[in-house]
Amino acid sequence: MKTTRRTLAMAVVALLSWGALLGVPVAQAGALQPQDVLQRWYKLALELVRHTATYSPPVASRSFAYIGVTVFEAVATGPSQLQTLAGQLHGLKDVPQREAGKTYDEAVMIQAAMAFATQNFFDHTGPTGQRAMATLETKLRDEVTAGVAPDVAIRSEEYGRAVAEHILAWSKDDGGAVVTNMGFPEDEYKLIPGPAHWVPTNLIAVQQKPLLPNWGNNRTFIMPASNSCPLAPPPEYSEDKSSVFYKEALEVYDAKQKLTPEQRAIARFWSDDPMLSMTPPGHWISIATQIMARDKLDLDKSVEVLARMGVVLADSFIGCWQAKFQYDLVRPITYIKRIIDPKWEPLLNTPPFPEYPSGHSTQSGAAATVMTSLFGENFSFEDYTGSPDGLKPRTFASFWAAADDAGISRLYGGIHFRSAIERGLEQGRCIAAYTNALRTRK
Amino acid sequence: MRLMSLRLALTTAALMGLAHANAAESPVTIPSYVEETTSAGIDSIYAGEWEYMVGGGVATFDCNADGFADMLLAGGENPSKFYRNKSKRGEALHFELQTSGLELDRMTGAYPLDVDSDGITDLVLLRVGENVVMRGLGDCKFERANESWGFEGGDGWSTSLAATWEKGSTWPTIAIGNYIDRKEETSPWGSCTDNWLHRPAQVVGAPQLMFAKPWPLKPSFCPLSMLFTDWNRSGTPSLRISNDREYYEGGQEQLWHVDPGKEPTLFTEKEGWRPLRIWGMGIAAYDLDFDGYQEYFLTSMADNKLQTLAAAPKDAPAQATFKDVAFAKGVTAHRPYQGDDLRPSTAWHTQFEDVNNDGLVDLFVAKGNVAKMPDFANKDPNNLLLQTVEGKFQEAGGKAGVASIATSRGAALADFNLDGLLDLVVINRWETAQLWRNTTANAGHWIEVKLQQPAPNRDAIGGWIEVKRGEKVMRREITVGGGHASGQNGWWHFGLGDATEAELRVVWPNGSSGDWQKLAGNAFYILEPGKPATAWTAK
Repeated sequence: MKTTRRTLAMAVVALLSWGALLGVPVAQAGALQPQDVLQRWYKLALELVRHTATYSPPVASRSFAYIGVTVFEAVATGPSQLQTLAGQLHGLKDVPQREAGKTYDEAVMIQAAMAFATQNFFDHTGPTGQRAMATLETKLRDEVTAGVAPDVAIRSEEYGRAVAEHILAWSKDDGGAVVTNMGFPEDEYKLIPGPAHWVPTNLIAVQQKPLLPNWGNNRTFIMPASNSCPLAPPPEYSEDKSSVFYKEALEVYDAKQKLTPEQRAIARFWSDDPMLSMTPPGHWISIATQIMARDKLDLDKSVEVLARMGVVLADSFIGCWQAKFQYDLVRPITYIKRIIDPKWEPLLNTPPFPEYPSGHSTQSGAAATVMTSLFGENFSFEDYTGSPDGLKPRTFASFWAAADDAGISRLYGGIHFRSAIERGLEQGRCIAAYTNALRTRK
Repeated sequence: MRLMSLRLALTTAALMGLAHANAAESPVTIPSYVEETTSAGIDSIYAGEWEYMVGGGVATFDCNADGFADMLLAGGENPSKFYRNKSKRGEALHFELQTSGLELDRMTGAYPLDVDSDGITDLVLLRVGENVVMRGLGDCKFERANESWGFEGGDGWSTSLAATWEKGSTWPTIAIGNYIDRKEETSPWGSCTDNWLHRPAQVVGAPQLMFAKPWPLKPSFCPLSMLFTDWNRSGTPSLRISNDREYYEGGQEQLWHVDPGKEPTLFTEKEGWRPLRIWGMGIAAYDLDFDGYQEYFLTSMADNKLQTLAAAPKDAPAQATFKDVAFAKGVTAHRPYQGDDLRPSTAWHTQFEDVNNDGLVDLFVAKGNVAKMPDFANKDPNNLLLQTVEGKFQEAGGKAGVASIATSRGAALADFNLDGLLDLVVINRWETAQLWRNTTANAGHWIEVKLQQPAPNRDAIGGWIEVKRGEKVMRREITVGGGHASGQNGWWHFGLGDATEAELRVVWPNGSSGDWQKLAGNAFYILEPGKPATAWTAK
């Protein structure tokens, strides 16, 4: 098996389009490398998350997992040092192999795999997204196949597509492939009675039942089961002013009343509202792609990052959702309006599902643990994710500094109690341990 | 005058065996519509692919001074079609396709407006490409007037319009909303192009007879509907813009100060404005709760919004804070109400009108998938939500016969055969437009009026018509804009319930109020400042 690239492709590759979009300094561009192809498709995928109505955070995390595994597996069969995930991830069987002694072009192969995967894992996007995917596929295909021998190009495309088809087939029976009514139960779900339990927090008709109550039943990727990282129960519900529950609610209430500009900025920075942003899992994928571009990671490392991050984010939402519907805890807005101040309003929109634990905290703790494993402690970076929406970039001294920032943002935003944040972060750390145990190198 | 009492309504219904929306709720008269698309001679399709996924408007206006509303249907990539109304009063609808000069292609919508105040309706044509103002010549002939009126049509993807006459101006101000940069193929998100404010040219010593170079309304967030409206009864309308969150970054709904002689500025949080981010597609306005301030219905995907002022002060300036009462009023209209496709809805044109003449305005909403979006309904029936005496709304689209599941966009409720009942035309993407005649047998009384004042602003845009109804006063603002790419100029209709006469007055755009006049119902009137109403009869 051989791998070749065009002579031109040996030119220096600069920081990539995603970095340019976010304001990261960009050097002179060179030929299109496989990593460029990844960046271009991931940039589009992050847009599609925002612009596809069904892509709530759990649904988005699932797509990122399968796309990440697709490119990882496609690269792993080549001249890389990567170890296939088949046999490690639940239900993933051996992926198609390359023909021995044949030449493949990695950029062409990845282009084909990403095109197929993106088009299928974002197949519910609207006409603009469909048009963008088709246009990007045409443009990138033209670019990556220029100068490549036709037989190599055809073989590489067919192989990339074959791997992507294999992953798509694997995804079909995981429990999350079909999402209707934007993820909200239509009739069958019954709210649990009692003041401790979740009730709708807005007057949007489709959100009178909680988002994706069965997501915790989905097949996990590497975590043994959705409840493999259980949480202690939240503080016992109470309206007694001396209770822990009341004090945590009062903390949220007081925080809103005394928000500093910095705290307000933190809340906004991590708000990551579905359909108005790339969502929390998209935010962490964005962090990963920014670092990939900034540090000019090689192909192996790039797909390793994308696969591990995809897997851990998806498992985080499965684990978190299992706990959310196990405890079905009331949101701060409901409790505070009922017990403390009927006129109180949080800074952020309250998500339409139970409170405990905080989803952003769980997945941020998980993502930070995986990123730390990949890049080390005290790895500093700037995050430009919110720049297109006018949010100033934030600088973090480590991935866990970012995760802690994301967690506390939910308290500043008035949508989570402290216990949900702190235990969510710890749950994420637990979930990430399974991903970190994946063997990705030979 | 009084509203049909509940007892009378019940008695009447029982005697006549009328259909009611729901026995457990207050009874409302279900209107009856008969589709007459083919027999009326309508055959027009809003065609085209991606660049025509929005738009698809209709303009209704009387261009030959016979009192009957003619209409122009946008054709998308095809030339638009003009239909002259040949209906006879009270009879089946009948239109004739005629050449008018308006048959441009790449049209997304159109709004009638007497730009030069000569008493003949002109039109502004919104297009993918250059917008065009068409001067009415009479007898339903039009000519391009971009050059003679200094109107820069640009080269955008225009999707919305609102017009007003600013105080002291003899020429209108037109706001045009522009959508995304259509040349952005792989990443059109965040590429919203500038909206334009076409104000009168200021030439010292010369009358205003031209438009100035358009002013970019920055920031612009891909609007699909806009409306000049005096939301706070200040006497100066503001520009309400409903934006499509699918494409903007950092955007939200907007409300602009547009004060004469000043640069437009956005309302701020200090003025009470609160961010709202929806897939804004259409605006309808009406004072539903009789407090003097209008409510605003905003169409979107899934839930729609009905905004009312959070606080409606009687003696102080209103803060620009709105709250959503769609859920409470029963107008979320978030999913199909019949059929087996229960995915969330996609809503476009919307309009408040009284379709059963019971004295309470009802709400029409055109529905249709953007284009094969699998998370949203493909069989998405249009809504006809009837208002009850409690101020809530009941769905009656199916029973009324207007629950088309075509992919609808623009629309107009208008009395095409001058029988006092509002008919309906709806534009559909990829399918022929549809026309329904309102044949409701047991509707209440009605009155229709036209405003005429000396030039400028012959049609009194910015004025208000008020009709007393017992202790309450029905109010409607005379506007150009809103809906979805669809505008109207013609009779203003009020249902009167069982009242046989109306007590009515006009608050003219200059703020002066006409006298209250008692007018017999079931009739048409021309209203002019300082004059008694003049009865009008179709020739």
